[in-house]
Amino acid sequence: MKKPPKTSINTVAKRLVGRSDLALARKSIRESLVSVAGLIGKPVKYQGGNEIGRLIDVVVKHGIDSYPPVSGLIVKVGHSKSFIDGARISKLTQNEIQLSTSKVDLTEFERRDGESLLDADVLDHQIVDVNGLRVVRTSDLYLAPLDREIRVVGVDISFKAFVRRIFPGVLGRGPIPEHVIDWANVASLAFGTGVVRSTQSRSALGQLRPADLADLIEDLAGRERSALIEMLHPDLAADALEEMEDDALQGLLRGLPSEQSAGLIARMEPDEGAEVLRDLNDDHRESIFQEMENSVAKQLRKLVEFDETLAGGIMTTHILTTHEEDTVASALKLLVENKDRDISDGIVVVDAKGRLLDHIQIIELVAAKSSAKLSTLVGPPFPTSVGINDRLDEVIKEFANNRGSSIMVVDEKNKPVGRILADDLVDALASTSESSGFAQGSGALQ
Amino acid sequence: MSQKIDKNRLSPKKLRIAAFLAVMGPGMIAGLSDDDPAGIATYSVLGANYGYQLLWVLVISTIALIIFQDLGARIGVVTRQGMIGLIRQKYGARSGTLSAGALILANIGTMTAEFAGIAAAGQLFGLSKYISVPLAAILVSYLVLRNSFARVEKIFFLISAVFIAYIIAGFMAGPDWGSALRGAVVPTMPFTQDAIFIATATFGTTLAPWGLAFIQSYAVDKRLTRDDLKLLRVDVWTGSLLTGIIGIFVVVTCAATLHKNGIQINDAADAALALEPLAGTLAKELFAFGLIGAALLAASILPLSTAYSVSDLTGRPAALDDSLKEAPLFYITFAAITGLSAILILIPGAPLIKILVFTQILNAILLLPLLIYMYGISKDKVLMGEFVSSKKMRVIYGVIISIVAIAICCMLWFSFN
Repeated sequence: MKKPPKTSINTVAKRLVGRSDLALARKSIRESLVSVAGLIGKPVKYQGGNEIGRLIDVVVKHGIDSYPPVSGLIVKVGHSKSFIDGARISKLTQNEIQLSTSKVDLTEFERRDGESLLDADVLDHQIVDVNGLRVVRTSDLYLAPLDREIRVVGVDISFKAFVRRIFPGVLGRGPIPEHVIDWANVASLAFGTGVVRSTQSRSALGQLRPADLADLIEDLAGRERSALIEMLHPDLAADALEEMEDDALQGLLRGLPSEQSAGLIARMEPDEGAEVLRDLNDDHRESIFQEMENSVAKQLRKLVEFDETLAGGIMTTHILTTHEEDTVASALKLLVENKDRDISDGIVVVDAKGRLLDHIQIIELVAAKSSAKLSTLVGPPFPTSVGINDRLDEVIKEFANNRGSSIMVVDEKNKPVGRILADDLVDALASTSESSGFAQGSGALQ
Repeated sequence: MSQKIDKNRLSPKKLRIAAFLAVMGPGMIAGLSDDDPAGIATYSVLGANYGYQLLWVLVISTIALIIFQDLGARIGVVTRQGMIGLIRQKYGARSGTLSAGALILANIGTMTAEFAGIAAAGQLFGLSKYISVPLAAILVSYLVLRNSFARVEKIFFLISAVFIAYIIAGFMAGPDWGSALRGAVVPTMPFTQDAIFIATATFGTTLAPWGLAFIQSYAVDKRLTRDDLKLLRVDVWTGSLLTGIIGIFVVVTCAATLHKNGIQINDAADAALALEPLAGTLAKELFAFGLIGAALLAASILPLSTAYSVSDLTGRPAALDDSLKEAPLFYITFAAITGLSAILILIPGAPLIKILVFTQILNAILLLPLLIYMYGISKDKVLMGEFVSSKKMRVIYGVIISIVAIAICCMLWFSFN
């Protein structure tokens, strides 16, 4: 598991705040904010000014738009909750909502997929503040006209906004602009369920480091937690999962459908994935395997079998194998094809019978003539290798002797089956010392 | 991974014990801290004035404690949110703020009662309250603010050990176990203001609002997961049962000595003093020693519970492992509650009795909406998912809530007549 370059929190924040494509960066929008908390209970009127009823909630549609548009209003008419289509709104101010028609068909409100109610689902609920890297509660939400629709553009998580909502009457229901965070900088967990999600919040979340995401995931539970995971790009979600505490990760997987677990584990580094699977009970593990692609499942099944105190149990199976008769050009092509995999720093060369000959660094390939055969590059220093059933202490000894950043793992016939990178070894050692009680508690008693 | 290698080293039985020890805490600590000085005082008065007759009230209180602590712990683990935050989310900003406000007020009052307990017990050992109270405030703040979660929890367990003192004192008093058993299972009730007050107070002190808020937040802070729920249940049951058993021993001690000799008392320190000629100096000292331990435990939990609730209401981070910089609100609340209560108890001529009576009434009134909110959360499918409460459990919750409601109504009726 390799971490992406560390970006400090401050730079992320600066980059997001300074982005000029944010809605709140526009003065016209900043000046036309309408507080959702203040709007609830206000009259909804026909074109002529006759009151239809009082506003109960605002329905928004969260789809591909960065700023979710208002798709309708829920209005209390008599004793029933009626739905009014958002397209009929002609004017929306802090004190009233006016429709463009003098007559509407009032229909009973029914929830539709991809829609959320701002008061019932978002206000006072947990929300991920991407800049602050924390889970907070929504104190208020702000609407403003943008791209010919009324949209949610801002959110307020301040205590001040919360306090002024508690008091009845007019006590400053207007927005406090300096506290308003652009909607693009938060991820509402109410919006995570369903297939659609805001691309903007997805990219905002996408700028977080996996370790920070892991903390956020651990802070949440149930629906909110699943929502956050759904909102992440699957690759990023898998990276975040790798960073989670073992116990928390086990708990998380038990709460996810097998299909989703399978997708995430398949995207993890094979050795990490196997480690996770090994700790699940047999039925659960099997149900996850069932949801995986056959080739991935086969590989992971093999890894799971290995004892994790042996070389085979800690190795990664991501290696690129080439034949000694292949050319340098084809080896480079293979590397390029696999550039997304973290471990493509070189290739493994085998002989006609598949036995390990050498591990050739990318720099050697680049320096060589592209038509040259790989066999011409084979030579000392040869890679250190350990057997698949060698014990952890032997692996450490080999590492110490050889001082490299990785060693090869071969089977009984000297065929390469995987590689142990230094960080795999660190992980293996960390979990050994944890179990001996050396690790510091991170919350729960160890 | 850790568990794997453990399995090679530990037998399954040892592994189970280790797993339980790791989960243990919320039920034990939240339960035992309900046996605070106010609780011990109430049980003492119950025993001194009514002998074994009202023991059954404590039995019902204990059952109610088990049921609702269990629910609180489960809500915490499943939702990863504290009680006040959930009330804000489900019942709105105003309900959340009102609950939190009442809770803060009641907690300051209760915290003052804990310090009063420390002051009284200190005086039994010849220590001035101007020394014992500030000392306790500093000790408690240092303990909670300067240590990691794991260490704080271990110290809580250590303090809890003092409760054994009450069990020893109980045996030394030589009670009539037959009468005690009858009193515990046969409910009889003298319909007088005093009896109803003490019965309601017993309910209110055992099933304290801050305890319910605490167990939920503490389970969140401890980062327990759904897989821990089974073991957590063992912890909650053990903790709540122990809480009840200690209460029963206090009642029995006072029933066997004070009640038998017709001695009336007002608080726990009175009880300790009155015990001396009847059960010996050691019994008095055990009683006073237990009182200090009980007060210290509760005085650590109360500001902590308040700090969790305030952070929770505002949606700010609240964890013992956070630094002051990460969670300022959490720590400021802790310090404010501790400081304010210590000052209240030290002001000469402060209307202490009024504060304590007001606190007791406020706690009792607050308990009812909190239980109803918890009931509402327990049956919310969206929040609880597969852990939503069953029909059978809902009936049980309903019965307990009704009993509490009746007791509170009786108490209020007598209070204002």
